[in-house]
Amino acid sequence: VQDRHSDNSHLALQAKHTEQHEGRLYNIPLEELSAVFPHGLPHRFQQQVLTFNEARVMVRKPALELLAYLKGSNFSHPAVRYVIYGERGTGKTMTLCHVVHYCSRQGWLVLHIPDAHLWVKNCKELLQSSYNKDRLDQPLQASVWLKNFKASNERFLQEIKTQKKYMWGKRECTEEGRPLREVVEQGLARVRSASDAVGVLLRELKQQSHRGSFRLLVAVDGVNALWGRSTLRKEDKSPVCPEELTLVHNLRKMLMNDWSGGAIVTTLSQTGSLFKPSSAYTPQELLGKEGFDALDPFVPIPVPNYSPKEFESCYGYYLERRWLQHEKGQGWGGKRGMRVLGLELVSSKWAKKLDKLNTDFCTHRDAQSFAVPSVSLQGPRTFPPCASGLISSVCPCTPRVST
Amino acid sequence: MPVRWSRYNPSYLEPEVKKESYERPLEELSEEEREQMELKTVRPIKAALPTLSSSVFSDPMISKFTNMMMKSGNKVLARNLMSQTLENIKRKQLEKYHKAPENEKDTIECNPYVIFHQALKNCQPIIGLSSITRGGKTYQVPVPLTDNRKRFLAMKWLITECRENKHRRTMMPEKLSQELLQAFNNEGPVIKRKHVLHKMAEANRAYAHFRWW
Repeated sequence: VQDRHSDNSHLALQAKHTEQHEGRLYNIPLEELSAVFPHGLPHRFQQQVLTFNEARVMVRKPALELLAYLKGSNFSHPAVRYVIYGERGTGKTMTLCHVVHYCSRQGWLVLHIPDAHLWVKNCKELLQSSYNKDRLDQPLQASVWLKNFKASNERFLQEIKTQKKYMWGKRECTEEGRPLREVVEQGLARVRSASDAVGVLLRELKQQSHRGSFRLLVAVDGVNALWGRSTLRKEDKSPVCPEELTLVHNLRKMLMNDWSGGAIVTTLSQTGSLFKPSSAYTPQELLGKEGFDALDPFVPIPVPNYSPKEFESCYGYYLERRWLQHEKGQGWGGKRGMRVLGLELVSSKWAKKLDKLNTDFCTHRDAQSFAVPSVSLQGPRTFPPCASGLISSVCPCTPRVST
Repeated sequence: MPVRWSRYNPSYLEPEVKKESYERPLEELSEEEREQMELKTVRPIKAALPTLSSSVFSDPMISKFTNMMMKSGNKVLARNLMSQTLENIKRKQLEKYHKAPENEKDTIECNPYVIFHQALKNCQPIIGLSSITRGGKTYQVPVPLTDNRKRFLAMKWLITECRENKHRRTMMPEKLSQELLQAFNNEGPVIKRKHVLHKMAEANRAYAHFRWW
């Protein structure tokens, strides 16, 4: 257990994470964390980084698989699309973050959209787009994203030049051959044209990626939002199709495989999705027919719950960081209790809540269902059995926490 | 049908919920405990309360506190708030722990249960006031408090302090964790209230002879 948590960040630098490192945790220095991930880390992980004063990511099989594909891919061929899917709380976003970190260490240009669901719901301001009368702009979301993009990819914005002259409204324009930084700054300064700035950025990157001066990684979390429904309404209360939003329209064009010189890694997410049942997790269910046809052909990457080895590693890490404070949780009884849940149910998210299981105080009523041998496999989100070894399907042990 | 809240026949015994008590071998038990076991085989046993638990992680004080926080029977919400409070305390303490230099690490207590119990103990008043009417006037008489009353007062003060004197938009776990940590360090409004009560009792010493119990 000792060497599992040793500082393997130098291995990440040389991109030497291999099969033998599976289950180990590697450290990302905090300065790098704020540079590579201004947005995009799951909320629970951010809290953990603050609590433990370090960022440790576990190396898991799906991530290793993806990294192997990326290393061996031919960049003169059209971009391959990878879709990470799995049940709730199994680690899809963290796999995506691992890949993003690897690519940024390798010097790729990373286009990271932290959660596409944020673009199709809860939008306070919807402007009619000046470029195309039918579409709607989202200035707030676009400007927030541009700010974070600028923070993570400074040097690329300086190097890459525009190939066309762009007019922003009647008076302002960006000449041909200016660095992309000016486009981004224009979008940040004039918030009304932020969505158009995003569109221009995506277009330029797509056209220039085949030249080979940089590798482009398009990382989208919650890609099923782009082909679902949205809760936004126009001023006459008619519902808005995601297609009518400029941001979504441009992103869809980016996700098509008609460009080369990079890769597209996406994640499906039920947690923030709209009008999808909570049991849905396969690409077919979440993307719908339209989305599946648009993303087809893609490489599916399933992400399962923790394997026994990963569970041990995570448990050891929490012990070492003193997260498991209750004396009963640290001994064999507590560990057995956590293991009794059936490791199929202890997903990465629940492993993070190991101490929540520790603070569980099951009621006597649960002892009556002790006779029930198998816990219902409805999914990792059903109330996990209590850590003391009493199995219950009715225990309202831990709260539902949305990602 | 015998249910918990109906009047039980005095022959009914209390249920024993803890697993450890059943795992002890026969030789270890003393005479009285063996007699008690014999009695349990013949006498009927009362139904256990729904809140009684055999989990290693259950704590009667925490259950009591959760019940006092509960509003209109919403135990699920109260329990969630309690577990979030404990998690909050742990996170704050761990953050301090991991940032502290090596020599100070031993002084920082990270276990939320220890902090909770110590905070409650620090908030418990030693002496209380009771209103006694003599000759038409009501006097506040200093009076010793039972253990149960002390515990109740400490928990009540903590909860009322969090509900009333904080900003409207802060969440209960946050407010509670802050109060508990302050009480653990013997500072904060609840400790102040306890001191005020002690001072009042000291000031009303003269009426202590009104007490007849």
